[in-house]
Amino acid sequence: MDRKDNQSPQGAFERRRYTNIVVQKARHPQLKEYIHDAVNGLLPFIQKGLVERVAVLFFDSESIPVERFIFKLTLNQSYGTKVDDADLEFALRSFLIKLSVSEPLTKVLPRDCRWEITAYFRSLPQASTSKDAELWIPTDTMQWQQPPLITPIKSMSSEPLGVQLYLEHPSLSEPKA
Amino acid sequence: MSFDSSRSGGNTNSNSKSKRSLDSSSSNPPGNGNNSNKKKKTTNQKTLGVAWGSNSRSSSRSSFRNSPFSDFGSYMVVKNQKLQDQFDVEASSTSHSGSGSVKPIFSGVSIFVDGYTIPSSQELRNYMLMYGGHFKNYFSRHSVTHIICSNLPNSKIKNLRSFSGGLPVVKPTWVLDSVAANKLLSWVPYQLDQVASENCNQAKLSAFFTLKNSPVTAACISDEAVAENEDSLLKGGTSMDANLCDERESTEHRKQYNGEPANLLHDISTGAELEEPSCSNRLHFEARNAEPSDVAKVDRTLVGNQPDPSQSRPSASVSSHCLDNQSSKESSSSTMYGPSNQRHSTLVDPNFVENYFRNSRLHFIGTWRNRYRKRFPSLSNEFKYTSSNPNDSAQETAIIHVDMDCFFVSVVIRDCPELRDKPVAVCHSDNPRGTAEISSANYPARDHGVKAGIFVRDAKALCPHLVIFPYDFEAYEEVADQLYNILHKHCKKVQAVSCDEAFLDVTESEAGDAELLASIIRKEIFETTRCTASAGIAGNMLMARLATRTAKPDGQCYIPSEKVDDYLHKLPIKALPGIGHVLEEKLKRREVKTCGQLRMISKVPFYVAFFISSPLATFSRVEELEKKLLIPPRRQAFMESLQKDFGSKTGDMLWNYSRGIDNRLVGFIQESKSIGAEVNWGVRFKDMKDSQFFLMNLCKEVALRLQGCGVHGRTFTLKVKKRRNDAGEPIKYMGCGDCENLSHSITVPMATDDANVLQRISTQLFGLFHIDVVDIRGMGLQVSKLESADNAKQGHERNSIRSWLVSASASTSEQCKAKESANTDPKRHSIDGFLDQLGTNFCVGATSASGEAFINQNPTLPPLHDLDMGVIQSLPPELFSEINDMYGGSLTSFISEKRGRNASNEGKRSLLSHRSPSTNFTANNKVYNWSCTVHHSVNHALMILWGSWQGKQYADAEVQMPPGSGAGTSGAIISCSVPENNDLMPSSLSQVDVSVLQQLPEEMKTGILGLLPAHRRPVCGSVASSDLQIAVSATSTGNQPGSRDSVSGNELWVGNPPGWVDKFKVSNCQLLRTLAETYFLSGSTGLLSSVLQRTLSDNGLPSGANTDGWDDAIYCLCELFMQYIKRKVETDIEEIYVCFRFLKRYTSNAKCENYVGRVLLLLDLSCMTCFLKGANHTLLGRFDSLGALVLDFVKSEHSTEVSN
Repeated sequence: MDRKDNQSPQGAFERRRYTNIVVQKARHPQLKEYIHDAVNGLLPFIQKGLVERVAVLFFDSESIPVERFIFKLTLNQSYGTKVDDADLEFALRSFLIKLSVSEPLTKVLPRDCRWEITAYFRSLPQASTSKDAELWIPTDTMQWQQPPLITPIKSMSSEPLGVQLYLEHPSLSEPKA
Repeated sequence: MSFDSSRSGGNTNSNSKSKRSLDSSSSNPPGNGNNSNKKKKTTNQKTLGVAWGSNSRSSSRSSFRNSPFSDFGSYMVVKNQKLQDQFDVEASSTSHSGSGSVKPIFSGVSIFVDGYTIPSSQELRNYMLMYGGHFKNYFSRHSVTHIICSNLPNSKIKNLRSFSGGLPVVKPTWVLDSVAANKLLSWVPYQLDQVASENCNQAKLSAFFTLKNSPVTAACISDEAVAENEDSLLKGGTSMDANLCDERESTEHRKQYNGEPANLLHDISTGAELEEPSCSNRLHFEARNAEPSDVAKVDRTLVGNQPDPSQSRPSASVSSHCLDNQSSKESSSSTMYGPSNQRHSTLVDPNFVENYFRNSRLHFIGTWRNRYRKRFPSLSNEFKYTSSNPNDSAQETAIIHVDMDCFFVSVVIRDCPELRDKPVAVCHSDNPRGTAEISSANYPARDHGVKAGIFVRDAKALCPHLVIFPYDFEAYEEVADQLYNILHKHCKKVQAVSCDEAFLDVTESEAGDAELLASIIRKEIFETTRCTASAGIAGNMLMARLATRTAKPDGQCYIPSEKVDDYLHKLPIKALPGIGHVLEEKLKRREVKTCGQLRMISKVPFYVAFFISSPLATFSRVEELEKKLLIPPRRQAFMESLQKDFGSKTGDMLWNYSRGIDNRLVGFIQESKSIGAEVNWGVRFKDMKDSQFFLMNLCKEVALRLQGCGVHGRTFTLKVKKRRNDAGEPIKYMGCGDCENLSHSITVPMATDDANVLQRISTQLFGLFHIDVVDIRGMGLQVSKLESADNAKQGHERNSIRSWLVSASASTSEQCKAKESANTDPKRHSIDGFLDQLGTNFCVGATSASGEAFINQNPTLPPLHDLDMGVIQSLPPELFSEINDMYGGSLTSFISEKRGRNASNEGKRSLLSHRSPSTNFTANNKVYNWSCTVHHSVNHALMILWGSWQGKQYADAEVQMPPGSGAGTSGAIISCSVPENNDLMPSSLSQVDVSVLQQLPEEMKTGILGLLPAHRRPVCGSVASSDLQIAVSATSTGNQPGSRDSVSGNELWVGNPPGWVDKFKVSNCQLLRTLAETYFLSGSTGLLSSVLQRTLSDNGLPSGANTDGWDDAIYCLCELFMQYIKRKVETDIEEIYVCFRFLKRYTSNAKCENYVGRVLLLLDLSCMTCFLKGANHTLLGRFDSLGALVLDFVKSEHSTEVSN
């Protein structure tokens, strides 16, 4: 779920190959750790189908989002383990290709912007259901007041997993902070 | 700066191109900062994979402003060089570090990996590193030898040439297998499946050129190419077998370039195809223009309907593209392997025509006669006089027919006795897989089934050890001269048939026995020429010739007159001279296979009186009438006669030949009636200039021939072979393929043999064809009405011809004007204003639909308008359909038009008096019948017509009618044009006018439903009843809410096909029906986007002139979209997005002038905004409110309209 970040310091990401597709991988150990932890931490919830969307938010110094990459997940629980790797890989690859060429859709980010990985749960995870849930902190990021503008990037539906990726930008009528 | 210079210095084998651009870049002095910038760029690029090549292009463009590179090209040159250097460095390090045993199997191979492969491009690169190959990050046809990919998009397959530059496109397993085998394997079996299947003849084409490596034609390879080839091989220092393999391959690649123009033309021919219909239509127009003026109306609409041929020419961009490609290809070929002397087409060889004829066997045979005549002029002349009275002699005539055995082969191998018993053939190319045609094969080869005319590759398949020789025209001339010297020595009456075949009249010969003489002659021929000849001896030329057939090879046969009948009785008709394929087929159809059977047929026909009624009188051809009138076979047998069936001349010939009668005299030299030259191989033009140049050379050739024969000609016929629209690249390399033969001819008052005059005339003739030069596959110029040059000299030829040409062109333009004025004539045959318009509109639809068919129409057919419809309609159905076929289906449309007029007349009348329901009913009923019987292809056009007409009527009628009272008017005819259906009953219930059905009495309704063909029922099956219900309810209420409920109450997207398809199919709105129809056309994917795309690309959504029912339609559409959005929003936003994009495109096309456009635009925009605004949870709510929004809009629009 990494992404080339035009605002990141040069070399924070490097180009790597994943399933023969060029992807960006974080180089900085801490950054790597953050991404790795976030994704790994989400994994059990995703597997249970609790996570509805995973967003990569870019927000400015006032925590107002500038751009959001939304990964909307639909998971068919009934599949269990009989997943065809090749199928999934194929779908995933087409997905990643689109992701890597989505740069023109993005906006120029302001200086001093930050980003975070946010997961939208279908319901708030209860501490009882998972111990890991306590590790999660509510986001400080502000929400847009108006419904955002959506730019779809890619939808894939490989049977057990469906992912839709779209880009959200603040609507034009959004009051400027 | 130092970077640049060191690079160019350190790299001695960089090509000239890179040097040049390096120079240009260094002339642009870079600053310090720039240098670092550039370095950054290149370091960045270091890690770029292939997939990022295109991306980096755009991203790096902006940095040119402050980079040392003048443009992208120079940047790329440096970059490629750098990559190359890096690769070399890496390669040397890996080979050093690795064990020394690794064989550089890929030496000389340079691969480019396109797209996703397994193994990945990185792994392939590693293989290349280890095994001495090269890996290119960017494609260049100069440096890349193989393209590796496992899958290609359709566009690249279609345009393979421009994508691959003719290089082999190979699967990655080739690399793996080669590594595994530890030698370079041939790439051919590893060719990409898509490519191999798509372009199977391309592979063969490339193979065609491998022959140049073989010893026979090794000289064909230019020295440079060989040197280059060897050079690269030596450098590699590979093992022997790898060497061979490589050499073969590189030759193949190289030679593939030669085939380029053909494919190029093929590529752009799609553009040219656009032009075809208009051209043919035009032909039709011209043909019909001669008809009386009542056809003028049809013609005018036709003309208006079609663009001017010149406008529909492929756009300049296409041709320039071709040019560009062409030039680049040519340049590449020249840079890669120097001048090639294998120029196969008119495109590359300026002396094509000359070379063509120099290498043509047919040309040799054709022009040999002149040579012969010049050589033996006295003999043939003298002989003419002596043979004037052959019948005087009471002695039985004796004719010897001498024919060399497989002349073209035996002459070539006459000095190689060891080949005498081996299969040998002669052909201009000996490539084992080529498509050159065998011109002659010797008897051992014939035993294997090899015969003249088959392709070399087929011959090789039949007989693998077949030895193929090229022509040796000098030897042929020499042997032919020797032959005729001998013949003339022994006999005074010699008639040369060909260079290897002659008739001798030995009746008055002092040698006595003809058989003895024949054997003497044969012996002498063999001793002199070392070639064998066969001889046939008989009483006349026909029998002598047939005897030779028996005598062959190397023998002689005598058929005495008493044995002629026996000999002929069993003889297959094919053996008779003058019976070719066509005639043989014709005879075979009559169960005539032998001469004995042929003799059974009488010569002159019995007189048969036909009762010919007026409409049929025009079918003058007897055969057609036979068919039409269904004359029983017994009678047919009586009518049979040779002259009737085959014309008087052929009939006579058949009658005589089948009885062994031949009255021709030996030595009667048939003066050639025409002289000409035709080229149908290798003809490819890219523009008008090419064709003119070719024409010029052709004229020169013809002029030379005319001069050679000492004659002048008056009639000039230009023949053109035009590629058929659907014909692909011919199987035979550079052949003409499937062609239409077109010709125009002209007769001038003054005979000429002057090349310039010929050229002017042929240019004029060529102008008459109106065809795109890229479609031309062959051209021939024939000169007839020959007179001897002496006579012609008397006149003042030049001036008269010139003046004639001028006057001719003037008269042509006058004619054109006349045509135009005729077209602009006011309508003559208008019934009344409206109906005329109706008719005209209809004609547009009908004629454009059947326009193609008109071309093939027999010119003797009378114009449709002259047919008596009463008669035509009372014909039995079979007869009618046959006549209809002859008219290309337009007859039915014509009739239905007539009926349509009647019906609409009645409909109009009834509508005007709509208050009486019974009249209304009958009118509708009529319409129903009519809609059932019309030919189906026309059905659709008529429906539209009817709809629009009704729309008008509705507008009128509304004034008189209180709203809601006229249920009858609400029923537009529902059509669903299912092709390939011309039954009298509609194919499914959806075609039935429900409003009519509804008004029918109950028993009739069930009757009609029962009449629907049983096999169609399952098709419309389950939905039929419910459809009917819905449709009936919709029309019976005549009120919008009812139908809306019926729509909104249903899940439109459930089922396969989705519910809306059936629903919309029976809608009375054209738009909805179109959508429903398109659903199936678009491949029933279940995706709305594909439906919309197809609709848009077909002809755009129809914009109804009729506002009636639009409220419903819009509502239905909104519902459709909303349900679709609901369905897809969770899984595929992309799809929805695409749909809206299509909608947007439509509304931008439709100019938003009409009601529909506005509504759709609103629908689109509101959906769009809602959609884009939507956070996922709010999204659905917003879409729900959309329907109400649109409805409000529709209502307000409607009310304003009503109040207006």
